[in-house]
Amino acid sequence: MISVHGLRKHYKVHKRPPGLKAALRSLFHRTYTSVKAVDGISFDIRPGERVGFLGPNGAGKTTTLKVLSGLLHPSEGEVRVDGHVPRLREEAFLKKIMLVMGQKQQLLWDLPPAETFELNRAIYDVPTLQYKQTLDELVGLLEIGDLIGKPTRQLSLGERMKCELAAALIHRPRVLFLDEPTIGLDVSMQATMRTFIKDYNEKYGATLILTSHYMDDVAALCPRVIVIDKGLLSYDGSLEALVQRVRPEKRVVLRLSEVVDASRLESLGKLVTHEAGTAVLQVKQDAVNATISRALSGLPVTDLTVENAPLEEVMSELFAENKARRLQAAESVPA
Amino acid sequence: MVRRYLRLLTVQLKASGLQALQYRADFFTDGFTSLCWVFTALAPLFVVYSSRPEVEGWSFGEALLVVGWFTLLQGILEGAINPSLTGVVEHIRKGTLDFVLLKPADAQFLVSTQRFLPWRAFNVLTGLGLFIYAFLLLGRGPSPLGLLTSLLLLGTSTVLLYSLWILTVSAAFFVVRVDNLTYLFTSIFDFARWPSSVFKGVAKGALTLVFTYVIPLALMTTFPAEAMLGRLPALSLVGAVVGSAAFAWVARRVWIRSIGHYTSASS
Repeated sequence: MISVHGLRKHYKVHKRPPGLKAALRSLFHRTYTSVKAVDGISFDIRPGERVGFLGPNGAGKTTTLKVLSGLLHPSEGEVRVDGHVPRLREEAFLKKIMLVMGQKQQLLWDLPPAETFELNRAIYDVPTLQYKQTLDELVGLLEIGDLIGKPTRQLSLGERMKCELAAALIHRPRVLFLDEPTIGLDVSMQATMRTFIKDYNEKYGATLILTSHYMDDVAALCPRVIVIDKGLLSYDGSLEALVQRVRPEKRVVLRLSEVVDASRLESLGKLVTHEAGTAVLQVKQDAVNATISRALSGLPVTDLTVENAPLEEVMSELFAENKARRLQAAESVPA
Repeated sequence: MVRRYLRLLTVQLKASGLQALQYRADFFTDGFTSLCWVFTALAPLFVVYSSRPEVEGWSFGEALLVVGWFTLLQGILEGAINPSLTGVVEHIRKGTLDFVLLKPADAQFLVSTQRFLPWRAFNVLTGLGLFIYAFLLLGRGPSPLGLLTSLLLLGTSTVLLYSLWILTVSAAFFVVRVDNLTYLFTSIFDFARWPSSVFKGVAKGALTLVFTYVIPLALMTTFPAEAMLGRLPALSLVGAVVGSAAFAWVARRVWIRSIGHYTSASS
């Protein structure tokens, strides 16, 4: 469905030192540097897959999404989405995709969302019957029946985001590009959005690429993740395998009925946190069973769970690893 | 294809109408502003003609026809062209042009029809009223051919105005803030309230040349007025048609190239 080979997107950026003198000089003599937003990434995505794009700020995630949706032209490389070359922006291609950006909105600000839906219906040339069916379905699933008649400016951020999603799905796209769709939403609204996106993917077999800083979004929606860092692809595979690679240790969470000395806990494994009757131990995978039996026999345990390390920690460790590797590579280059 | 775009235009017009009605106070303020615009367009004419019977061969009644065209075109500019295209500048600055470019329809059409100010139709009606008043003063009516020619020129003038605006907002893809350019354009358009020959004496006629060929204000108001009076040379009519087509072509090319330069605002 999506194939990207050797994608590069470089920007020419004007750079000048601070100060009035430099500003005046730059009026006549400008120096440019090339910023490598994306620097040679390749991947393939099958129809119906849900893939998470992860990476720190400025990693190149949004740039890649914009190249895939035809908004930006690649500097180099080959990109195809369902057989189309995105930069050509053919109507047939644009009718198959949608891009939702959590920080930008397409809803007409002064009018009710229903007017934007109607406008999109005309633009995408959606047949009346299909439009009615889709709208009824979206209104039901997203619970926006009471909202679509109110002016957009009177809606809360979460309500607006649900309507944004509905506006972007009126034409039943087959490829969804979601750029931080849950940003700024409260926990329950995030959960609603996730459930809806997953249902849509399963019902219509739509392919989905998601970028999000909320790891819960990624964990709930994306069995596969692609990690981009400084424009380079640093991981492509299952989320589970990523966690295993970066943080193979498991977390054993113990709930204790009475206060236990830290030294007793440390004898079982690396103590991560210990507060208010809860202790979290980090242990190697092959030592999990032994740790559990020792804990159950020697400590006042009321409840016990085994978890992976939080995804946020896994990601920051991965980014730190990447950074250290880059620094090392830079130092090894002879001056 | 044409039917689809007509339907799109209808939906965009409906949305603009609804937006205009959304705020009651704004609706009436806009109406009042339109009325004031008409008076500001007429005032200088009364001042000039209060002390002389004619200016550069144009009597008061004839010059009133030029003001009529100016008022009418100002209505079209302020009501149908300006609101949409200044919206483009905002889209580019905020990066929301992304949504326009993602739509399976011509981006230039979408941005050019996104906003209309229905109240500016008042200017158009006033322009028509001024034509009637001018011909009453002149004591005659326009010839059928003159009327037909001026209708054709209304089309070419609208195309010219629109193309000039497209060229102006295309600059926003490169310089981001084009507020000054749009103000400059509106100020220059103000000259169109005068028959182009009044600028003959300025800088050895250079200004007349500029207003005919570079920023063709003469083609927009003086030519149609002359057509109504039945004294527009056939060559000028051909020039107006060819000129407006050329401007539209250039504007389209520049727009397409400019879109290629769109870098989209970061998220």
